[in-house]
Amino acid sequence: MKTSTISRRKFMQLTSVSGVFLAVGCVPGSRGEERIANISNDVSLALNQFISIGQNSRVTLFNHRPEMGQGTFQSIPMILAEELEVDINNVIIKQSEADQEKYGWQMVVGSHSIQNEFEKLRKMGAAAKEILLQAAADQWGTTISDCVAKNGVVTCSSSGKSLSYGELVEAASKLKAPEEPKLKDPENFSVIGQSVPRQDIPLKTNGKAIYGIDISVPGMLHASIERSPVFLGEVLDFNEKEVLAVPGVKHVFKTQRNVFGRNREGVAVLAESYWAAEQGRKALKVRWNNGDLESNTSASIMEEFRKASNGKGDELFSRGNAYEVFSKSQEVMEASYEAPYQSHVPMEPMNAIVSVKNNSAEFWGSTQNPNGIRSYLAKQLEIPEENVKINYTFMGGGFGRRSLTDVAEEAADLSKKAGVPVKVTWTREDDQTQGPFRACSLNVMRGVLKNGKVVALEHKVVSQEIRNQTGENMTAGRQLMGGINTEYAITNLAVRGVLRKLYVPISYWRAVYHSTNPFAHESFIDELAVKAGKDPLDFRLEMMKDHARFRKVLEVVAEKTNWYGTKKPNTGRGVAICERSGAHFAMVVEVERKDGRVKPTKITTALDLGICVNPDTVKAQTEGSVVMGLTAAYYGLTIEKGRIAEQNFDTYPLLRIGECPEIVTHIIQSTADPDGAGESGLPTVAPALVNAIFDLTGRRIRKLPVDLRKIS
Amino acid sequence: MAVIELLLNGEKKSVDVDPQMPLLWAIRDYAGLTGTKFGCGIAQCGSCTVLVDGGPIRSCAVTTAAVEGLEITTVEGLAKDNEHPVQQAWIEEQVPQCGYCQSGQIMSAVALLDKNSNPSDAEIDDAMSGVLCRCGTYPRIRRAIKKAAKI
Repeated sequence: MKTSTISRRKFMQLTSVSGVFLAVGCVPGSRGEERIANISNDVSLALNQFISIGQNSRVTLFNHRPEMGQGTFQSIPMILAEELEVDINNVIIKQSEADQEKYGWQMVVGSHSIQNEFEKLRKMGAAAKEILLQAAADQWGTTISDCVAKNGVVTCSSSGKSLSYGELVEAASKLKAPEEPKLKDPENFSVIGQSVPRQDIPLKTNGKAIYGIDISVPGMLHASIERSPVFLGEVLDFNEKEVLAVPGVKHVFKTQRNVFGRNREGVAVLAESYWAAEQGRKALKVRWNNGDLESNTSASIMEEFRKASNGKGDELFSRGNAYEVFSKSQEVMEASYEAPYQSHVPMEPMNAIVSVKNNSAEFWGSTQNPNGIRSYLAKQLEIPEENVKINYTFMGGGFGRRSLTDVAEEAADLSKKAGVPVKVTWTREDDQTQGPFRACSLNVMRGVLKNGKVVALEHKVVSQEIRNQTGENMTAGRQLMGGINTEYAITNLAVRGVLRKLYVPISYWRAVYHSTNPFAHESFIDELAVKAGKDPLDFRLEMMKDHARFRKVLEVVAEKTNWYGTKKPNTGRGVAICERSGAHFAMVVEVERKDGRVKPTKITTALDLGICVNPDTVKAQTEGSVVMGLTAAYYGLTIEKGRIAEQNFDTYPLLRIGECPEIVTHIIQSTADPDGAGESGLPTVAPALVNAIFDLTGRRIRKLPVDLRKIS
Repeated sequence: MAVIELLLNGEKKSVDVDPQMPLLWAIRDYAGLTGTKFGCGIAQCGSCTVLVDGGPIRSCAVTTAAVEGLEITTVEGLAKDNEHPVQQAWIEEQVPQCGYCQSGQIMSAVALLDKNSNPSDAEIDDAMSGVLCRCGTYPRIRRAIKKAAKI
């Protein structure tokens, strides 16, 4: 790995600028303005909404996507810098304002930021470079083809003269930028593909990085909200007077938030400080109407799924006729796999500040979806969108949870009622017990082998669907088949979905259905391989022999783990493959039995995601996906008496450092357009782990979570 | 409410608070140092770790009154500009992702290295096991602690 180095002192100078900037509220004001104030008292001119250059040649690049740890704070400016021909380690990176008209969709979900924005950002960088070249050519009375831009300087090839971007920016800013500028040949990339240190990192080692939870605005009240533990429970009454008697408490209001079309009620305690609001909430007693929902348990939900799985289901994918093969086969293998509800658990508890005024509103907080909050507030408060200001900060994790606008909805409702800005902060218990959650699911697999080959396969998913939680349309959609691999050379393949309407709220969780479906799919492929008497990696290779990308990642992971070498005693290994957001990957989990305990020792991933912008960030994302995947394999949420049983980390832990195996990631070199990196690796963790456990112990795990203490 | 005098990063800071309020909120909401984070409120995640007389404690589970007069160090008090060897190592190894738990990770690592200048893998795992990271930065934390030990 090549790592760019810059002096630490310079790094600090640069990053402290964005630090100050983020500390004061994180949104630059350049809307509709040609000139923006520059920290160094120099005049900086915008060449477009992403790029400003000072007359001292200081380059400012705007990152328009919120940063939740995924590292696009650095990799988006890298793409701009590549085409603009400036030193990425010598630019100022700033977070852009939230403005969909100016920047396009800014929501960070589905590992889309790099793959969807790549071409646009390259064009932005290249167009700015082209007008700088044109400005130089005009000055020298030559043509653009006689000029070369490099490292922030334009040089005239024929005369050898040169001018810095700072000297050219004023003239360039008056020129019309081309819509289709010439882009670099990826072979000549010098920034993209290098591991560049992230400018947000020094802010995250000294406490200066500002998250939503760190913000205070003058006159605000703090709110803590007791929400129905049985999700759809309705408020009957509450002891307002007693709560108002708690020191510091100012108001007690009934409130609500909408989660995918259904109202969730709660009672909010508003106080002068977070602590006072918490004390008020402790004194709060709410009576809920939970209807008959308290009879729900995890077991009853799985029982409902099991019954539903007997139905035909809705066709999601079909090739050949698997059912005809099943009806004519002597032996149809069948297995079912269960995965529980999961909470997102960003380390920063959910929070939002909203100030509602007569004809305007302002939001401060950490969000994956600044445009969504802006349009929600405008619509809900019936005010023009330009009167809604969104101040978004770094996020202390998102994982899909912060793509929702629900906490801002609570804060807006309370600000309107109280007439002052209101900060809503969720407790960890709120976060874990309220959802919306990653859906639980039952996957039923059927397959037929003939001469050691899979001739028919059916994958049936029984679950809830995120976009359809009100039950208006109970036909399963293609989203439900996320992560089900249709690329295997299996002639007869059927994928079906069965939807259930439940009262448990669900949402997008890192990798979404890719976090559960591949557990069943890749486990069952392993079961078929075992039955066929084939090596599980060879079995997959054989069925992927015409698929170059899957073949390559399988071959790389085999080589890097010495798959065909002699296995040490008391070890096992499992393999799994998947595609997520265009990225193709293969993973091998190695497990070891030591002192009677089985644990994973090493997890190796081979990843083909096309052009890789910042390889060290992609590796970090894969490490994160592995850790989150292991956590989800070991722990899950259960429903008892209609509510979540696990309240906090004592009963729903995260993986701890001592449980973290060695994680190795190999990135395949590629010049294809980039795919998503943020979730790659997560889908394969659970199946590769259980496949490895089977390899070591002969025991097949078909239900998550798996308690390794019970495996020997 | 009571006036409590804290010794925070070498400076005296008076806060007028409920003495039973956890130190975490005194640091964040009254002293205005937001680098120390709220994660769980029950001493299970370690995001709120600060040093009290050099030892790591979970500030969400200690009352403000209990630490009156004791020397409290938060992440802001480690160095002026990331000069502390642990911070340098954290930057070199590019440890943080979202960064939210990292103050707790760094303070725990500082406490470990103060006691043990050359910790083994097992000693690192043991000392750091109380600080959770959802982003999965653990492999880099291990590397950074080893690097910091050499700075």
